[in-house]
Amino acid sequence: SNDLTINPSDQYSENTFWKSSEEAMAALTGCYRVLQDGAGSTWFLETDMITPNGLAYNESNGTDAIARGVHNSLTGLIVSRWEVAYRGIGRTNTFLSKISDVAMDEQLKSRTLGEAKFLRGLYYFYLVDCFGGVPLIVSAPDPETQSQQPRNTKEEVVAQMLQDLAEAAEVLPATYTAAADQGRATRGAALALRARILLYNERWREAAEEAKKVMDLGVYSLFDNYRALFMLENEENQEVIFNVSYQLPRFPNNFDHDIFMLNRPAPTKDLVDAYLMKDGEPITTSTQFNPARPYENRDPRLLQTVNCIGYPYNGQITTPGRVVTTGFGLKKYTSYPDNETIAIVSPNSSQINPILIRYAEVLLTYAEAQNEASGPDASVYTALNSLRQRPSVAMPTVEAGLDQEGMREVIRRERRVELAFEGIYYSDIKRWRIAEKVNNGPVYNHEGAVVSQRTFDAGRDYLWPIPADQVQLNPTLEQNPNWY
Amino acid sequence: KSYSQLISLKAAKSSLTTLLRQVESQSAYRFVYDRSELEGMDVSSISLKNIPIAKVMDRLTQDVPIDYEIFGTTVVLRAKAKPHTVIQQEDRDLRGLVLDEAGLPLAGASVVLQGSKRSASTDTDGKFLIRIPSEIPAVLTISYIGYMSKDVSVGQLNDLRIALSPDLAQLDQVVVIGYGTAKKTNLTGAVSTVDLKRNENAPVTNASQLLQGVEGVYVNQPGGQPGRDVATVRVRGQGTLNNNNPLVLVNGVEFPMDNVNPADIASVTVLKDAASAAIYGSRAANGVILITTKSGAAGAFQINYANYFGFQEANYLPDFVKDPIQFMRLRNQAQINEGRAVVDYSDELIEEYQAGMKSDPLTYPNNDWFKIIFGKGAVQNHGFQFSGGTDKLTHLLSLNYLSQKGAVMGTDAKRYSLNYSTQAQLTNRIKVGGVVNINYKDFNEPTAGVGNLMEMTFKAQAFHPTYLADGRYANTFIRTPGHNIYRHPLVLANEGENNTVQQRGLVNIFAEVQLPFDITYKINGAINKADDEVTKFVPDAFVYQVKTGEAQRVPYDGGNPSNRGLRKTSLGTLNTTLFQTLNWSRSFAEKHQVNALLGYSREHFSDGNFFAQNEGYLGNDLYELNAGSSNPLVGGTSTEAKMISYFGRFNYNYKEKYLLEANFRYDGSSRFAKGNQWGFFPSFSAGWRLNTEPFLKDTDWLNELKLRASYGQLGNERIELFRYVNLIALGADYPFGSTVSSGAAVLNYNDPNITWETTTMANIGVDAALFDNKLSVTVEAFRKRTSDILQTVILPQQVGSLGGPIQNIGTVDNNGVELVLGYQHKLGDVGMQLNGSVTYVKNKVVDLGGQVIYSGRRIIREGSPINSYYLIHANGIFQTEEEIANSPFQTNNTKPGYLKYEDANGDGFISESDRKISGSNIPKLTYQFNLNFNYRNFSLNSFFQGVGSVYTYAENIGAMPFWFGTSVPRKWVTDAWTPENRDASLPILTTFEGSQTENFRSSDFWLRNVAYLRLKNLQFAYDFPTEWVNKLGLSKFRIFVNAQNLFTFSGMKDFDPEKNLDGSTFYEYPTVKTYTAGLNLTF
Repeated sequence: SNDLTINPSDQYSENTFWKSSEEAMAALTGCYRVLQDGAGSTWFLETDMITPNGLAYNESNGTDAIARGVHNSLTGLIVSRWEVAYRGIGRTNTFLSKISDVAMDEQLKSRTLGEAKFLRGLYYFYLVDCFGGVPLIVSAPDPETQSQQPRNTKEEVVAQMLQDLAEAAEVLPATYTAAADQGRATRGAALALRARILLYNERWREAAEEAKKVMDLGVYSLFDNYRALFMLENEENQEVIFNVSYQLPRFPNNFDHDIFMLNRPAPTKDLVDAYLMKDGEPITTSTQFNPARPYENRDPRLLQTVNCIGYPYNGQITTPGRVVTTGFGLKKYTSYPDNETIAIVSPNSSQINPILIRYAEVLLTYAEAQNEASGPDASVYTALNSLRQRPSVAMPTVEAGLDQEGMREVIRRERRVELAFEGIYYSDIKRWRIAEKVNNGPVYNHEGAVVSQRTFDAGRDYLWPIPADQVQLNPTLEQNPNWY
Repeated sequence: KSYSQLISLKAAKSSLTTLLRQVESQSAYRFVYDRSELEGMDVSSISLKNIPIAKVMDRLTQDVPIDYEIFGTTVVLRAKAKPHTVIQQEDRDLRGLVLDEAGLPLAGASVVLQGSKRSASTDTDGKFLIRIPSEIPAVLTISYIGYMSKDVSVGQLNDLRIALSPDLAQLDQVVVIGYGTAKKTNLTGAVSTVDLKRNENAPVTNASQLLQGVEGVYVNQPGGQPGRDVATVRVRGQGTLNNNNPLVLVNGVEFPMDNVNPADIASVTVLKDAASAAIYGSRAANGVILITTKSGAAGAFQINYANYFGFQEANYLPDFVKDPIQFMRLRNQAQINEGRAVVDYSDELIEEYQAGMKSDPLTYPNNDWFKIIFGKGAVQNHGFQFSGGTDKLTHLLSLNYLSQKGAVMGTDAKRYSLNYSTQAQLTNRIKVGGVVNINYKDFNEPTAGVGNLMEMTFKAQAFHPTYLADGRYANTFIRTPGHNIYRHPLVLANEGENNTVQQRGLVNIFAEVQLPFDITYKINGAINKADDEVTKFVPDAFVYQVKTGEAQRVPYDGGNPSNRGLRKTSLGTLNTTLFQTLNWSRSFAEKHQVNALLGYSREHFSDGNFFAQNEGYLGNDLYELNAGSSNPLVGGTSTEAKMISYFGRFNYNYKEKYLLEANFRYDGSSRFAKGNQWGFFPSFSAGWRLNTEPFLKDTDWLNELKLRASYGQLGNERIELFRYVNLIALGADYPFGSTVSSGAAVLNYNDPNITWETTTMANIGVDAALFDNKLSVTVEAFRKRTSDILQTVILPQQVGSLGGPIQNIGTVDNNGVELVLGYQHKLGDVGMQLNGSVTYVKNKVVDLGGQVIYSGRRIIREGSPINSYYLIHANGIFQTEEEIANSPFQTNNTKPGYLKYEDANGDGFISESDRKISGSNIPKLTYQFNLNFNYRNFSLNSFFQGVGSVYTYAENIGAMPFWFGTSVPRKWVTDAWTPENRDASLPILTTFEGSQTENFRSSDFWLRNVAYLRLKNLQFAYDFPTEWVNKLGLSKFRIFVNAQNLFTFSGMKDFDPEKNLDGSTFYEYPTVKTYTAGLNLTF
């Protein structure tokens, strides 16, 4: 016969897909998959290296270029964030536009709608955080109508994110019972992300309320051991609200290799100095501080986070050769214990899940929002002290009687220390508008020698440039101020 | 035919034979005589100047009882009939020798006795034996492809020596065309044939290399990796943005060229214009290459053996700073120059190293990694050919073995090939035949891949050690940020396994039936089967730090498995073809020649692959799939495509003077949506052989003059399958908890309306042969317009970051001219041949519907070549801070000595909006020539290839200094800007990372002109004298030496200019110089 029609045998066509619950669930899985491309990898581990917390040293994503203020609209990290976030947005939009016609259990369908809206909100969050307002697209990808769509205002995108997350929170379960559902978005995740976005937009009252909702869910609590919180054996513990799943051999990440073998990110002296002494005082005022043994008697989170020369890590006393960049290494998100030796992990052979949202952040969000909204009331103290009194931390409680400003400083330091290298601090120094102060000068190593020089142009660098090729493809995209 | 050559002769009284030799020495004339008959015959003193041969012969024979006859350039002398020579009435045997213009035997020439069915062909010695009737004169017609046929009237001689002169224009040559053959004289399209003689005995390891030197064809041979040395072939420019490879048909069936043993190829034809290619319709837009493999000929059984031995080595490697101390100091200097607060190598380390190099070279090595990894790879080839047959049945069996060791450690290949061809004339009306081509290739590559090994070799510094004293692999103690993990090149080259076995088989059978009314029916069925099996085992290999002994696993980047494990991949292709043709051929009134062809063809293509992977092996030695215990993975898929075609040709000529031809093909392809599947491709052409007109017939110096013109349409359907429907791809899986969940996602946006690309091509050409065919000229001009060009349109990422649709977006022109020149001359015993061609093609996008397509560093824009480079213009080097302050803003790290860019849009800032079109990687000009000499039994052949101005981008290791802690090209030591050397050609020395967004951002500073002229092949051969060879029981014995890629002239000094121009890095397999010597025996 002369029939030339052949149907693809290894891909579904749009006409044959979206028929069953299994197919819909697979499309939803494809929306989660994008998490591994950015949110769980470069956006997570790299961004602290643009802050006074850490130093990138010879890396290919252009992170150090951003830190030094010599980046441009082709810098890798910038280009890939735009691309990956919109990939996630496109997939969730496709899912959301198709799911209503799929014949499947209505309860499950409603849950998947919530999951997709959570993910869409999350992907937009990553865009807005760095680029400001972006084209707000909430329908399935269509070049005809979307190719030349200009940027929306930041407020419009934020409103959409908050709406998506609110709708998600309504339909998502607080927890999942099936083992095969671990890692899906929960009501707590949607609320916590909403709280974060409200906080970043200085909507203090709402942020505090939203954080409080998470606290009141009764689902999450702090994990006793700060160091072990980030270890493989404690994945999905009670503090984890949302994480990105990695699993060997098919879904590896590179954390062990980058952190241990490449000393990247390398914590800075500035971060190390931010850790309080055991007496709750900063090193500048505490009598416990001994410059000859600067890492003794410190907030235990220091040595639970940072690998310091002269202290054990992977069963060996750390030598300067191990932490050449700044004299500090990172322990968080590596598999190496302190007092035993395990084999060096090869590149792309790690599978620890990076935690995008955890309960400690919710407490800090609550504390900050509440303090900004109505001052340092008791609930602010309670939230902070619960972090300080985590069993493995056991620091003194926060000094009573602080004014709002004093409390603000405490919260900011606590937030920096508690959440170091969890992809949060870059957003913090921007929203606090302190980047031109803290990230605009020399970076020091453990001996106080200058190892790098930072610049931050307050008129330009609070936003990243829209990638050049995107402006070229869609000339209606207005470039950010002072970018060309 | 009349010959205009004039002869001068001045001599005192001398013997007739002496004078004949003098004539031979100054002209193309050759004398045939019986020496005994001329013995003792003298000619009185003689003085002739510029006299035609006939007059000379008259004069020479006026005094002696000798008759002569002139046949072309052969003059036969014989004694005047003597009364006692009785004419024998029986048939007798005639022996003869057929020689070429150089006096070398011509094997396979046909000898036909006129007015009879008797024929013979010459053996490899050029000798023939034929029974002829005794009556005089008997006339023999001697013919040979590529030479002018000659009629020889035979007297009573029993030995005949006949020299054929080459038909430079090859006017009588029969060439293979689509679904048939045609006399080259009567061609009206643009068709090139490959001169296979040129490549005889050259170490052609891949048949694609044979196309080098064909006019209108551009062959780029980047890299000489054994087993992966297929060249890129472009016919008349780059017409499409998709697959630009020409359609290759072997014995009429689509089959990859590189799976044919070059020694088995009998002819290669390149169909370049629409007129000749339209019969292949929708796949012909990139040109069509027709390969016919050898088949047997009627005649005595022959055995031929040929071999060559030699070696290959890297042709060109970059010039890096290799001294470890100099490297460390330069890198420190670079870091200081870029404003870094700290440098990587402390003074103590440098001092320690300097001292250590003298006392402890194991810990402080000074290794030249190029010398360690690149070397001489042995090559050998053996080929046997057995052939023979009768009028009714012929066979040919050929076997070939090729073994290559690569110039890069860890690469080698073996190829075994078999070609069997047979044809039988079953009855007067039915002929059947079959050809089997089998190719088996087995090659090894570094486990981590060639690119990876090359990259790591370029990255390794002199201080990277080889082995510890106990033989274990060593690791350096020097930490270099950016190059922290030492991927030991020796480990990458030698540990583990990466083996590919390719099996290719083409079985082609046909039957031909003579029907009434001069109609021939032919049916041809073929199966093309390809199987690849790839075995890849990644070992656990460790390097041990020279000082501490600390072990570190060497990572094998960029592939699966990444841990110790095995992956077996199996790829299978099965393509079937069935075509039938009806051919009607007839002449009317000996003036009108008509030929018509109608055909129908069905093709089916299926591809499949699967892999299995396992980890958890006990060691590096035993690694079957079954021996692994953890993380098993499987995968696989298959695809299908179909094509149905109707085609035809009508051909008419009037007395071979006026030539007309029309072709069509109607193709249906499964690659498009219903309604867009069928395409019609017609072509028309005409020719006029002016030299056959009365007004030119008597022009002595003009042997051939033909004008021809053609017009037609071709298609291109070579895009990915199923690009007409939006697809949901599987594989976007994600683990929830410990459970992997199957994921699906739309990855590309597709356009359901896509259809063929249509290439409309007009061609005019002139073929001329002049001065006894000594000079031949072909000039062609063509206009190739591809409309509805299929291009992947890049979408803004806000549209879901989808791969863009393939759409019929616009129109691209490739307009050009080709000039082909051939010249041959003979001076005494020295013969000289020069053949050359130049092709100029101008590529231009003429219509894109107003849109501009950006992709990375390239742009497609109306008025420019397709995919032109689109870059910021670097217009100098900053000399002072003031100059920086007064110039458009680049970054706040810009320093004196840094590159200065042009602010093309004048906004005061250097950004990607300042980009301009900066060149193209499509060569406008390609040229090539052969220069061949022969003297008696010696011959020297050379082949040159050149490319005019063409650009490629250069980046990363080898181009940019200290790219991630690695090498620096030596020119940065001398040519970089310093406050003392302000006139420098290079900016101030910095590391790549240190000024990534300044000096090393994309700009035309990194564009390289890769024009070159290269001596691709040089061969010197010697044929042992026949008498000598006969004593050994052989009929031919030739020895030769051959060198490939001996010399290159190019302004490109960074890397081999014959590189993959689409790639921007230098760490690809280098091209190789190959030196071989071998012999050629015929029994």
